[in-house]
Amino acid sequence: MSTATIETATPVAHEDHGHEHHHDLPWYRKYVFSTDHKVIAKQFMLSSLFFLFIGGAFALFIRWQLAYPGKPVPVIGSILPATWVTEPGSGIITPEFYTQLLTMHGSIMIFFVIIPFAAGMFGNFCIPLMIGTDDMALPRLNMWSFWLVPPAGLIMMAGFFTDTGYAAAGWTSYPPLSAMTGLEKFTISGQTLWLISVFLVGFSSIMGAVNYVTTVLNKRAKGMKLFDMPLTVWALFITAILVTLGTPVLAAGLAMLFMDNFLHTSFFLPDNLVTSSKYFGGGQPILFQHVFWFYSHPAVYIMILPLMGIVSDVMATFSRKPIYGYKAMVFAIAGIAFLGFVVWGHHMFQSGMNPLLGTTFMLSTIVIAVPSSIKVFNWLGTLWRGNIKFSTAMLNALAFVSMFIIGGLSGVFMASAPVDIYIHDTYFIVAHIHYVLFGGSLFGIFAGIYYWYPKMYGKMLNERWGKLHFVLTFITFNLTFFPMHVLGLGGHMRRIYDPNVYDFLKGLSDVNEVITIGAIGLGFAQLVLVFNVLWSLKYGKRAPRNPWRANSLEWAAPEHPGHGNFDKDITVYRGPYEFSAEGRKSDYWPQWEPGSSKTVNHHTIAVEEETRSFGSH
Amino acid sequence: MDRILSYFDMLPWFPENTSTFGGELDSLFAIIYWISVGIFFLTFGIMGFFLVKYRYKRDRRGYNYHGNNIVELTWTVLPTILFAWIGLYSDDIWERTKYSSRLPKADVQVLVMGKTFGWQFLYPGADGEFGRNAYTDRDNCRKLITGLNPFGIDSTDPRSMDDFTTENQFKVPVNANVVMHGSSQDVLHSFFLPHARVKQDVVPGTWMNIWYNIFKTGKFELACAELCGGGHYSMRAEYEVLSKSSYDAWVDKKVAEAIAARSPQPTVAPSADTATVASLTK
Repeated sequence: MSTATIETATPVAHEDHGHEHHHDLPWYRKYVFSTDHKVIAKQFMLSSLFFLFIGGAFALFIRWQLAYPGKPVPVIGSILPATWVTEPGSGIITPEFYTQLLTMHGSIMIFFVIIPFAAGMFGNFCIPLMIGTDDMALPRLNMWSFWLVPPAGLIMMAGFFTDTGYAAAGWTSYPPLSAMTGLEKFTISGQTLWLISVFLVGFSSIMGAVNYVTTVLNKRAKGMKLFDMPLTVWALFITAILVTLGTPVLAAGLAMLFMDNFLHTSFFLPDNLVTSSKYFGGGQPILFQHVFWFYSHPAVYIMILPLMGIVSDVMATFSRKPIYGYKAMVFAIAGIAFLGFVVWGHHMFQSGMNPLLGTTFMLSTIVIAVPSSIKVFNWLGTLWRGNIKFSTAMLNALAFVSMFIIGGLSGVFMASAPVDIYIHDTYFIVAHIHYVLFGGSLFGIFAGIYYWYPKMYGKMLNERWGKLHFVLTFITFNLTFFPMHVLGLGGHMRRIYDPNVYDFLKGLSDVNEVITIGAIGLGFAQLVLVFNVLWSLKYGKRAPRNPWRANSLEWAAPEHPGHGNFDKDITVYRGPYEFSAEGRKSDYWPQWEPGSSKTVNHHTIAVEEETRSFGSH
Repeated sequence: MDRILSYFDMLPWFPENTSTFGGELDSLFAIIYWISVGIFFLTFGIMGFFLVKYRYKRDRRGYNYHGNNIVELTWTVLPTILFAWIGLYSDDIWERTKYSSRLPKADVQVLVMGKTFGWQFLYPGADGEFGRNAYTDRDNCRKLITGLNPFGIDSTDPRSMDDFTTENQFKVPVNANVVMHGSSQDVLHSFFLPHARVKQDVVPGTWMNIWYNIFKTGKFELACAELCGGGHYSMRAEYEVLSKSSYDAWVDKKVAEAIAARSPQPTVAPSADTATVASLTK
């Protein structure tokens, strides 16, 4: 293994680059329309946090209605307009507004919170730093990928000001419901705005993803092989491939649905519908479901794979151990991603798709449990014989693993098509998706925020507030979402405005009330996070260069790196997980530190004389 | 042990099962459920044990070990076998409950049509045969579908005379194979009988097979399980499972009503009218 670093021209270029940006750029190019990947990552984080609260507020409306159907919404109910929003003069939300709320809750949380957090924020922040380069390969495209998100969000939210309100066909927007709005041609409705908005977000994702793939393949630091990359980068890289392959398909579906809405074409509308609108007919509603889920099932992995990578890095660092089975982890991510493209039909077992296809999709879906369990066992293997430090990041990572186990296991139920007959479109599904996307993704996001905040802002987040946030979130999360399994088994359908209409759901009203109390607590617990993020910005402890004593390259960068990232040239000498190697005094061995080692029986042993040689710094 | 397990038992939350295949679906659920509970305790147990045993100590050092291929292979192969078994076992039940080729011979046939926001049913009447309608003659009768004639019934077909409709309620005989063909006149709906463990989306423009065999008499509920607009929650219907004799009596009554309502005024062709009634009462 080579130990000498050869000077190349690039580091010099980096410095010029950074220099230029620090002094010559006007403020709006530095903080608003910046091409610096770290600024873009921060922008993604702030916009996602903002939308997290919007989406959460929608959820609390929904929960209020389910726990106390027909009771006015406290405080806010009185200021809502008495059109399609509330029953006149009462503050009780209408069934129409309820369907809009659930549509907007799902759409915002998925398209404006989790995907921008997972792919946008962490992809931007981690990839260049962790592969030891100055910026993305295509910085300007990167800037665009963020600056499509706020307008897209505003467009979606603007639905409130149309005559019929927000889109109201669920985040899945199945036609004919989403296509037959009964409006004239060329009418802007909540639904058309929704379609434009999601189209734009998809565009943003594609631009980001193209950038990630290019950057990972072309801009790795000297000496860094693909299998020297941290799992975070691997996961983001594979996610980016998923995005580039899947999102254009969604865009096609959205375009067709938009035309059905806006121009009254009939891609998804069969003939002879009983409706006031005029249509040609001849379309097929189930086609949209195929197109939609062909993207949106991989999208589920877009929302969780990056966090799996992040959690792996956090767990290795705080267990002071190499990740167990690094290559198996990479192959498991790739396996999940590949299988993600051949399982979309499991969303459609009861949709009227040929049941024969149900068989094939059931078998392919159940196979996904295999790479998922490989990952879980490897995480457990990483904890084994570690020296585990319970930092806030680690606690959130452990919550990710444990909640992912529950979410994964509940997934086996609906993967089994006959079991799905009963639980399909019930709260069991709602429980599952929240265990995966909140219990999984969001805890992973929290772990990532606590882990990388020091590098983002040069300040440490407050651990005491962090632990309070974690404990409150973990308890209220389970209080909110675990009982939803019970609702589902009781047969409680999703997306219903008032469960009391049904006799067989009457016994479940207590459960609904518990969930709502949990959800309100969960919502308020997130204020602790926002407080911590803002408070630490000003009053946080100054972060050292490598606060967690971790190995990957981002910790080689200065405390608060400027544009251009690194103040020295980086050469990579080993993989990112050489913790507690034999023959070394310190229990970590950064990738950029020279020194050679040998591998004996899956152990890394530092070779004595070389570890004493002076590093490049 | 049983007492301890009962704390983790979520199965009692299911509404009482009433259909022949419902028991199979419930026991498949139970199998997966108890496997999951086992995996849950295994993984959480291991994790909890590691978290306590290997918690941070100043003088401890992590163990630099990169993993072992034999171990990896073990925890790849074992879940594969387990999940493959679940998949194959499930598929057998799936084929029997949903495959069109495995549709049982119908004792009773009913057409069901979803609309925003309600359910309509068409019975073939006493002759057990539908007249021409959007199901039996899709090409010609689909264009007859209107809000008032949801099934596109061609009233010129004499076999249609005794076909009768019900709205937001239907009745089926106990211990009989009921085969329903479902569609929708506007948006997607889903035909959900919680007690009978039946769920099938109905899609406008095409007909879905729905079948079940209920072994318990009584009144139950039908719900729509697919978002179909603001009134989705209220798209409820009731159904009653009757003994064979009460069911036949009910059909006879409905047939008589239908014929009376459809038949022209007595001055026009009374003989045809009475002839039909006579043939039906046999």
